[in-house]
Amino acid sequence: MDIVVILFLFAGLLFFTGGAVGILRFPDFYSRLHPAGKLDTLGLLLSLISLALFNLHHFSLGALLTSLKILLIVVFVFLASPTATHAIVDAGVRAGLAPWTKGDERR
Amino acid sequence: MKIIGLIVAILVGALLVYAAADFPAWSDPASPASTYLSPHFIEKTMEETSVPNIVTAVLADYRGFDTMFETTVIFSAGMAVFLLLRTFRREEPEARHYRHVLTGVTLRVKEGGELPPSDDFERIDSLWTPHDLIIKTVCRLLIPFIQLFALYVIAHGHHSPGGGFQGGVILGASIILLAISQDLRTAVKRMAEKLDALLCSVGVLIYAGTGALCLLLGLNFLDYSALASVLHVDSIMARSHGILIVEIGVGIAVMCTMIWIYNNVSSGGKYNQGL
Repeated sequence: MDIVVILFLFAGLLFFTGGAVGILRFPDFYSRLHPAGKLDTLGLLLSLISLALFNLHHFSLGALLTSLKILLIVVFVFLASPTATHAIVDAGVRAGLAPWTKGDERR
Repeated sequence: MKIIGLIVAILVGALLVYAAADFPAWSDPASPASTYLSPHFIEKTMEETSVPNIVTAVLADYRGFDTMFETTVIFSAGMAVFLLLRTFRREEPEARHYRHVLTGVTLRVKEGGELPPSDDFERIDSLWTPHDLIIKTVCRLLIPFIQLFALYVIAHGHHSPGGGFQGGVILGASIILLAISQDLRTAVKRMAEKLDALLCSVGVLIYAGTGALCLLLGLNFLDYSALASVLHVDSIMARSHGILIVEIGVGIAVMCTMIWIYNNVSSGGKYNQGL
């Protein structure tokens, strides 16, 4: 059980790290939103699953309920986070920001 | 002039730093704040009000007067925004624009003309205003859950962090989300301006009315134990229920004020399509 929890947590942290590096390294607004939207969602999914499993260590009905609530957070973040990223990209396109192409300067 | 300002700011800052030395040490048990009042709250709250969450009990019962005027401050903020921004003179544009929701085709109706209200067309203010199916759909899915959670926060304030202010803000945010994701007209259709303003004052009235009821029943203003005879419970549970009643009042007032302020600010007081 512990090993599964640690594996999930580390996988989640790996995705978070990737997201942070991506936000710093990618060249422009749209490509930076890509790691911000995708990797954070997946990282949160994995780390919250590990928390929900860890919470079941001493199994009881109350602990199960808490774990289910943690999973509910995952569901809502999974819905909300990509939508928010979509809305931001949409706003960028409408404001007339041209996407980066190869050879351009970093922005 | 700037230099004088800087000198004044530095002087006041130095004064504050100098005065900070006179503070009692951090979590000093002999400091005035924790000698007689805090121990009383910590030890007696459960016996006196049967509310496990001390913060809620202090906020709505022991310092109920303070919270009542906090609610009034929020109400007057909404009032002030309304009085400053709301414009009642109607400046009709020469033509109205409507969009067919399914196809995105825009219709232009000449001056004075108007389409009968229907679900197929929505009125827009300029020729091209954003609408996005993904955002609309996801927000429509999320809003009920947000509102359910807000009600939980209000009702569960006795046992966990939360209460009227927090729950009211979440409730208001759900309607504001509707106004952002669709448009302001849709949100106003759900929560009309008059209803909003009315509920805003009703929330404050519930709070002050509970206090006045206590006064009528023979005890001090906002002493909820007077409600025991009305609610048919003993005086300790009456204090617990009294807290819930005023929290509901606060929730309603805060929710409506948030919506009221957002509506007026986002449309410049014109109540058109909004952002």
